[in-house]
Amino acid sequence: MDFPEIVNMLRFFIRTGNFGYVDRIGNALTYEPVEMAILEALRAFRSIHESAKTDENYGKYIEKDGKKIYLPRIPSEEEIRTFLNAVRKDMSVAKRVATLALAFPSKGGEE
Amino acid sequence: MFLSVGVRFEANVEALNMVETAGNYTKHRRVPYLVEEDGKLKTVYVPAISGESLAHAYQWSLVKEALGMNLPVCEDCAKGEFFKSMNKAHLKKKIDPIPDDSKKIEATIIKSCVIEDVGGFLYAEKPPVRRSSAFQVSYALPIKSMALFATAEPQLHARHAQMDAKGKKGNVSEQMIYYVETGTALYGFTFNLDLDAIGVSSLGAGPIVPEEEIRARREASLKALFRMLSSAQFGAKLSRFFPVGGITELTVVVTEHPFVVTSPIYDSYIERTKKRLEVIKEAFREEYFFDSTNEVPEEVLRKAIEYLKEKGYV
Ligand SMILES: [Zn+2]
Repeated sequence: MDFPEIVNMLRFFIRTGNFGYVDRIGNALTYEPVEMAILEALRAFRSIHESAKTDENYGKYIEKDGKKIYLPRIPSEEEIRTFLNAVRKDMSVAKRVATLALAFPSKGGEE
Repeated sequence: MFLSVGVRFEANVEALNMVETAGNYTKHRRVPYLVEEDGKLKTVYVPAISGESLAHAYQWSLVKEALGMNLPVCEDCAKGEFFKSMNKAHLKKKIDPIPDDSKKIEATIIKSCVIEDVGGFLYAEKPPVRRSSAFQVSYALPIKSMALFATAEPQLHARHAQMDAKGKKGNVSEQMIYYVETGTALYGFTFNLDLDAIGVSSLGAGPIVPEEEIRARREASLKALFRMLSSAQFGAKLSRFFPVGGITELTVVVTEHPFVVTSPIYDSYIERTKKRLEVIKEAFREEYFFDSTNEVPEEVLRKAIEYLKEKGYV
């Protein structure tokens, strides 16, 4: 089970220099910290979406150190639900998602 | 002599330690906390204030006390920029050329700056020279028995600007809304000060400044703590989120050797501190100072300073 939307959201934070969420998800030993990190990440991500700029191709982006960083889409309710249920059953799912987010994207990535 | 202070303070609707801003949302620092409920442990997230934030406030308060007593404070620290002689560029302001003997480097820094003497420093060049801070401070965390009532809640604010229609472009509007997450809790934290470390080399070179000045530096360090607690000048966003509340309890212990008060996050911390002190007294035949109050915290601090004066320590 991969969770591409969550991975992409975490990857976006990593690219802005914010490792907080991915670290909390990757290091969590119990379910609650993962859910809390996802809640906070989604809250922050929505705020960023609202204040992001839009380019001529309707891509949303923010600027950091003069570079454009494009925003992936907000993860769907469906993916979040599946992810949280999977983590509740098996904590290693959280570590796996965090690890994927830290890796270089293979294809069609946001880099 | 070693001073250890346990502080409990109530802070309502404070923004003392903000961690990040995402879009228009500024978040309060929060930490996971283990609490017991119905015999089961669970993790809750509570508002917190970092030790780093309290340490900054303490050092800023120390700058003012030291300058007021005509004690040396370096140019960087006097501005509240605590670079702490971290590299050649900053150390050169104190000594040029820079010696290659670490003891000489340490002595120069201690002589020229009380903040780095008390608060430690790290010169990260060749040879690296490091001095541990003579003071220690914990995070401020909600007290255990009330942790479940601590909250972090966003407050909505709006900023208005007069703008004519043609001045408007893109997403810019006359009204900008933003959220500031505020915390409300009864916090506890611990502050320790190793008075024997002040003015003395940590590399085994003995006292660096004259005895009289060491005493003055100790006094400045105590006054800085006094002033910081008394004025509640710690944390961020005080201009609009000055916490509503204040110190509810303060416990001070002075011992000959390091001894730390039981953390004020526990309800029984005063009793437990007293019991521990009694044991130390019997086992090591050591005198100590202990006082605690839930009325006038300044009074307890004043008595502790008086005790140290009687001992000829300040
Ligand atoms: Zn300095």
